[in-house]
Amino acid sequence: MFSRMAPRGRSGLGRSLAELGLLLLAILVLLDGTVLSLEAATSSEIDTHEGKPGTHKNTSKKSFPVLGIKYDDVSVPFEISLWVLLASLMKLGFHLIPRLSNVVPESCLLISVGLLVGGILKLARDEVPPVLSDRIFFLCLLPPIILDAGYFLPIRPFVENIGTILMFAVVGTLWNAFFVGGLIYAVCQIAQDKYSEIDLSNIGILPCLLFGSIISAVDPVAVLAVFEEIHINELLHILVFGESLLNDAVTVVLYHLFEEFMESGSVSAVDAILGLVSFLIVALGGVLVGAFYGILAAFTSRFTSHTRVIEPLFVFLYSYMAYLSAEVFHLSGIMSLIACGAVMRPYVEANISHKSHTTIKYFLKMWSSVSETLIFIFLGVATVEGEHHWNWVFLTSTVVLCLVARVIGVVGLTYIINKFRIVKLTTKDQFIIAYGGLRGAIAFSLGFILHSEHKKIFLTAIITVIFFTVFVQGMTIKPLVELLAVKKKHEAKRSINEEIHTRFLDHLLTGIEDICGHYGHHHWKNKLNRFNKKYVKKILIAGDRSKEPQLIAFYHKLEMKNAIQMVESGGGSKLNSTFPSTVSMQNIQPKIHSPPSARPSERALPQLTKGREEEIRQILRTNLQKTRQRLQSYNRHTLVVDPDEEGFDDLILKKRRMMELDWKLKQMTNYLTVPRSQGSPTMSRARMASDSQAYVKPGAENVPTIKIDLASPQSPDSVRLLDEVVQDQGLTMSLPSSSSRAYKTSGKDDGRDQQKLLRCLSDPGPDVDDDEDYDDDEPVPT
Amino acid sequence: MGSSRSSLRRVPDGQQLLQETGCEPERWFCLGLRSEDLEAELSENPIGDRIVGAFFQPGQETVDFPSFVRVLAHFRPTEKNRTRDGVQPEPANSRNRKLKFAFQLYDQDRDGKISRTELLQVLREMLGLQVTEEQLQSIAERAIQEADLDRDDAICFDKFRKSLEKVDIDHKMSVRFLE
Repeated sequence: MFSRMAPRGRSGLGRSLAELGLLLLAILVLLDGTVLSLEAATSSEIDTHEGKPGTHKNTSKKSFPVLGIKYDDVSVPFEISLWVLLASLMKLGFHLIPRLSNVVPESCLLISVGLLVGGILKLARDEVPPVLSDRIFFLCLLPPIILDAGYFLPIRPFVENIGTILMFAVVGTLWNAFFVGGLIYAVCQIAQDKYSEIDLSNIGILPCLLFGSIISAVDPVAVLAVFEEIHINELLHILVFGESLLNDAVTVVLYHLFEEFMESGSVSAVDAILGLVSFLIVALGGVLVGAFYGILAAFTSRFTSHTRVIEPLFVFLYSYMAYLSAEVFHLSGIMSLIACGAVMRPYVEANISHKSHTTIKYFLKMWSSVSETLIFIFLGVATVEGEHHWNWVFLTSTVVLCLVARVIGVVGLTYIINKFRIVKLTTKDQFIIAYGGLRGAIAFSLGFILHSEHKKIFLTAIITVIFFTVFVQGMTIKPLVELLAVKKKHEAKRSINEEIHTRFLDHLLTGIEDICGHYGHHHWKNKLNRFNKKYVKKILIAGDRSKEPQLIAFYHKLEMKNAIQMVESGGGSKLNSTFPSTVSMQNIQPKIHSPPSARPSERALPQLTKGREEEIRQILRTNLQKTRQRLQSYNRHTLVVDPDEEGFDDLILKKRRMMELDWKLKQMTNYLTVPRSQGSPTMSRARMASDSQAYVKPGAENVPTIKIDLASPQSPDSVRLLDEVVQDQGLTMSLPSSSSRAYKTSGKDDGRDQQKLLRCLSDPGPDVDDDEDYDDDEPVPT
Repeated sequence: MGSSRSSLRRVPDGQQLLQETGCEPERWFCLGLRSEDLEAELSENPIGDRIVGAFFQPGQETVDFPSFVRVLAHFRPTEKNRTRDGVQPEPANSRNRKLKFAFQLYDQDRDGKISRTELLQVLREMLGLQVTEEQLQSIAERAIQEADLDRDDAICFDKFRKSLEKVDIDHKMSVRFLE
């Protein structure tokens, strides 16, 4: 799922880790069971204790209780924490056993664990707590997953395929519901099983249709869980995933509709039309509510520059409010949440600090991950808990009908859709879409809150279908994807080239469409963008950033990432090609491999862009001082003052200092060595740190070169270089021959040294994790 | 409507155009060129000049119908299933040709490479007055560094195509109307 780093443990270490993991799992499961049964025991004890206080008092004076158990007060939070802990430890455990997690998707393992825990609980206490109640599920467990999906939804492919997605979500789900509901009714009427205690023919058409509508919805949680691991190409992923998100509206409407019909007992044509209207209201209403809250959140984030700490909180709260508000009016909460996340994201990201962005990202991932794990475990537990009515006819026919309905639905719809698509869906695509129609916990929860008399058999059937899809389809989809050689996802990050060219093509296509007089795709996108730039951005984005064009923002992000990467790898990362423009060192240092027109005159006094200032600050900070920054008084509303936080706008003071620094460096023609006479290296380092402008102009006039050693002082490479260049001096700040004068005079010798410097600095540094993937995606479709 | 035969006869080189572009000429008659609107729209388009310039063959001052058609033919949606035998020339709307067309819009002097100045020009047009010259330089620098394989400070067609391999060109560079 998320950054799986488990190595293939064939070594002995791996095996022992695996054993350790298994042991850990077993212990945990036992522990959980015992604690929960302990809770039952103690509660009963306390009950009996409370039962006769009077007699106690009369008989003896109670001695002061030194140690006592009082479990009731903390029981609820305690249990919750225990479950979450169990879920997280399970997750840990699975990644310690790489072989298993490669074959079996995580969802299956989690359900199995749930079954296990449920079994233990049943044995211990003879009853299982109803953990997957609908309130817990819909109010606590589902929103984080959906918010995570919505906030990081890749907008561009989603909008480009919106027609297809809507077709599948609306028409496909309707088809599924009616097909399964109707045929199940037929099966019930026909099949008369003498051995079953249930009379199937009792089940009317309306309950069957209700059942059909519950079981027909593709579940986003299950889809996410399984598809995350198979890495198929973006198009298929967004199709199935988008469908699973948008069919919530259909499911909600159908469910309420059939429930109402069941209560009232009769159906009329007016009701059907009302149903249609209700669907439109549910869907559009949900989206509007979400968009409204999204805009509110964006507007709020405009003013948070002084209280950066609570920025993530606004994002979460507004989204949750959007969800709850939609649920109040029986609108589609999922669509509201998606709309809120998608609308708010571009503006909020422009306003909040980098740290808040990271916080939001990691919190969302953490919550959704835990939620998902809990959902699957609870699914297992609930399976053990419920009473089941096994009716083989009903169960098998449900499973078969679901599969058949899905296949027919997908094939039929694709035939129609392909007439309108530019890039057609192939048979392989259709197969994956059909096969990826997994059912999950939403269906279960909806079945849980049924008020029908046939609830038990419906629940059993729902669970069967869920298990079938998750286990069978989930496990086999990965080998099938390999077998069919379906296109996989490209893992490469977005490059600035791609960005530029994509924009160029956008403009080109808009122009061509204008020439054709055809108001196509690009025309409307262009109009939306212009509207966005002119009005919306001004309102929702703080300060200068509102005028910053997309490309620049993207570019800054890239450079920032590079800078952080470089600093994190100890300043020893690439200096040359991939990092040219923002490191002002490059400006000062003539590129050896650049074309002969080295243009030294232009580099007289480089003007520093914000990105470069960032770089210089980073480098100087890492290399000059390991001394503590002087902390300002700690304030709960601001974190430790950190230069990173100030944002790009606010650098006037720093800029001036940087420019002076640069100027001074240019002027320097000697080593920026702190002569030994001035004390120990530590002292001199400290002095330089405290006042970065106080360069001691060394009196010595040796080699006329200035070199800055970018590697950290401790790295062996840098030490080697230093040895070559300088004989046991103190801290040297050496900049590879900056001035053109030095270049001319030292010639070959310097060249060699510089190449050595470049070579020893070409340490590739750590890989950026690939869940940055959707980070750089287009905010508003541009 | 009418039969396609008659319309073909009306258009000079109609048969040949059909061969080259794969599209019925009568379609092209439907294109509404409302000049005032067109001017307004294209003038707002940052690269409007380039687009208009692309219709003109180098050296010519006017556009005739076949060249117009030939250029627009690039934007027909690609047909995936068309099998090409080696005899037929590459259809105008293949992915390669589309990219080549876009490349030529960058590469005004037709030397087969996007040089730094050309890239800077494009960036200037697209980003306009909102950014400083320094930032433009930085971006162009980085773009070239990323894409430049042979260190000649320019982007060749291959690298251009490579950096767009993730983008669905067939989808992006197609105007559905022209199907």
